[in-house]
Amino acid sequence: MGLRRFLIGFATLSALASLWYGATSVTGLVSSGRFPSPIETYTAFQQIAWRGYAGGTLPAHALHSIRLVAMGFAVAVATGVPLGLLMGSSRKAEALINPVFLLIRPIPPLAWIPLAILWLGLGDAAKIMVIWFAAFVPAVINTFSGVRSIEHPVIEAARMLGTPPWRFVVEVVAPAASPMIFTGLRLSLQASWTTLVAAELVGALFGLGRVLNLAQQDIYPGMILVGMIAVALCGWMTTRFLAFGEARALAWRHFEAKPAR
Amino acid sequence: MAAIRFDKVQKYFGRGEKRMHALSNINLEIEDREFLAIVGPSGCGKTTCLRLVAGFDAASEGSVSVAGKPVMKPGPDRAVVFQQFALFPWKTVRGNIDLGLRNKAMGFEEREKRIADVLKLMNLETYADAFPHQLSGGMQQRVAIARAYVLDPEVLLMDEPFGALDAQTRVVMQEELVRLARVQPRTVLFITHAVEEAVYLADRIAVMTRRPGRIKELVDVKSVRDAEKWNRFERIEDVMDLDSFVHLRTGIWRSLREEKNG
Amino acid sequence: MDRRLSHSETIGLGALGLMSFIGLWAAISGFGLVPEQFLPTPIAVIGRFIDLFREPFAGFTLQQHLSSSLMRYLYGLLLAAVIGIPLGLAMGWFRTLDDVVTPIFEGLRFIAPIAWVPFAALWFGTGIGGPIMIIFAGAFPPCLINAYRGARFVEPRLIEAARMLGTGHRRMLMEILFPASLPSVMAGVRVAAGLGWQSLVGAELIVASAGVGFMMVQAQASVQTPTVMAGMIAIGITGLLIDIALRQGESLLRHRLGAD
Repeated sequence: MGLRRFLIGFATLSALASLWYGATSVTGLVSSGRFPSPIETYTAFQQIAWRGYAGGTLPAHALHSIRLVAMGFAVAVATGVPLGLLMGSSRKAEALINPVFLLIRPIPPLAWIPLAILWLGLGDAAKIMVIWFAAFVPAVINTFSGVRSIEHPVIEAARMLGTPPWRFVVEVVAPAASPMIFTGLRLSLQASWTTLVAAELVGALFGLGRVLNLAQQDIYPGMILVGMIAVALCGWMTTRFLAFGEARALAWRHFEAKPAR
Repeated sequence: MAAIRFDKVQKYFGRGEKRMHALSNINLEIEDREFLAIVGPSGCGKTTCLRLVAGFDAASEGSVSVAGKPVMKPGPDRAVVFQQFALFPWKTVRGNIDLGLRNKAMGFEEREKRIADVLKLMNLETYADAFPHQLSGGMQQRVAIARAYVLDPEVLLMDEPFGALDAQTRVVMQEELVRLARVQPRTVLFITHAVEEAVYLADRIAVMTRRPGRIKELVDVKSVRDAEKWNRFERIEDVMDLDSFVHLRTGIWRSLREEKNG
Repeated sequence: MDRRLSHSETIGLGALGLMSFIGLWAAISGFGLVPEQFLPTPIAVIGRFIDLFREPFAGFTLQQHLSSSLMRYLYGLLLAAVIGIPLGLAMGWFRTLDDVVTPIFEGLRFIAPIAWVPFAALWFGTGIGGPIMIIFAGAFPPCLINAYRGARFVEPRLIEAARMLGTGHRRMLMEILFPASLPSVMAGVRVAAGLGWQSLVGAELIVASAGVGFMMVQAQASVQTPTVMAGMIAIGITGLLIDIALRQGESLLRHRLGAD
């Protein structure tokens, strides 16, 4: 069964690759102004990988973007998870904070970009602010849900054992809610990448989004494709990294978490 | 010609180490218009037998045929009544019954007539436009039976059809089924683990062993029913009081107990 | 965790939180702690919001920008649903189709919708095609995935019953799989609507000549902070209304099907 899937998948991708090559290079059905041929893409890749484009080489741009995502993500997690824990543990805190949260929540993260640029300019700080905002919301919501869905007997046992508040949160609540917290973190990471690319497209001096933007202005489809693939790969890499961390943190679970689709 | 025929049927599930032998050398012939019940301990494979006739599963060895033709895939000639009703919740009662007829590309007028007839037969006329969730369990099962009957199938396959109903409704439905069988006799393969139900309803009963399931014995009920004239009674409890009934029932119980302990 | 709060406590604390937030905002801006362009007062923002309904900015009034945005949004969403839902259902039913499409889909899924903007700009300029393409990229996956899951996880008994009744492929998809997976499909549409709205905003920041996102970018370029914030409010409210409308539709449908 698995072999069959693999073979069909392989056949499909091969067919698509041939189609790509055929439509662009061989027949010229798709002109090079619209979509790059495999060769053009490779040429663009060679350029940016070794000679550089938009002010730097591909690794430099990629690293820059990854750094920003990591920083924004880290700040979002450091602020969002504790807030979620607080709102989940204390109904008073929830009642106090919820209205403000509900007010801010409907505003899409990308809508903060113009304001961020006004406040912090076109540099890194504005990007981190927007990423923080995008990643913050899922982290809070999922942490909150995670805390609220902890089974009552666990809580009652901890209270019966006379656990003081700080230890209660750190050693009981947080670990118990960690599966859902990690779901939130996965969403946060996805949101971080989306926001970063958007922010860099709107206005940036460096980074993968800048590469995409400049390539579009230069009418350089090969470079656009290289940029998109780079974004996808970086996103995939960071997601794997997070998954690794998740597997370590959730090692105490004895059944397999279903893979997200 | 037999309506349903099992010929040297073997059924295995799974592969390698996890292979499970479900049915072992099943040979059975069910005559036209015969009501045959299969009883046996849990997991003996009785439902599997039904699924082979229905075409949801295929025999590993041997063959299963209906009216001489080997079973290939599911179809309206072998209508099934499921334990959990399996009605389509988004269709009305009428819609549920109609689907099978539309699949046969039957014309509108013919369909309407058939549906009206079967609604009358099953006492569902007032509920024709209701949705399943508005009906009780017993009524839903009536709809399921109507849906199967309206197809005029070669054989009717019933998989513990009253298992999900409460005790009182169950009794009512059993009496219903006896009445139906008199009015519109059909070939029926009936699966149940309730021995009394089988004795009350069936012409013959096949007792199955534990897994891997074989047919341990075939009990002829019809000759006893005809001789003792069980049909003179309308109510189930009157029939179940008869010595002849009790004798048959107890015999099968003993047979099954051997399977449990053996 | 701790005890449930009474109705009045919840409302009271909520009001307290809200008031503190707005009060802080008003205080920081009102007392001139930061320059006007940085953080306008809440009143200035509300005022500007209302003004924009009468005074055009960047060529159109607020409602004109909004309707322009909404039109693109609905086209993109509709396209995503019309293609994604049937395809997802078909993939759930025909295993071979699933095997063919899934690798392609999985490969493309990692590309954030917004990353398609450069190609959209190249192909459509600032025309309507660009935003629609981005919205489609965002809204398509949830429509497809939820339809697929809905079809795959239909109660097996229902499928067996339909097969027993001799139901052909077309009827199976239309009359059995689609109604059975409607709850999942509707949830998918709701998620798609949210993602589509987000993608729209992103697209309009970059490749539009009208619409609320475009308005905000223009305002940012001319340092008109109250307009930027008014735009954010408009986007937030619209997104919220869309979500509420869809939730209502979803629960109405559940009620009708008696699924609850």
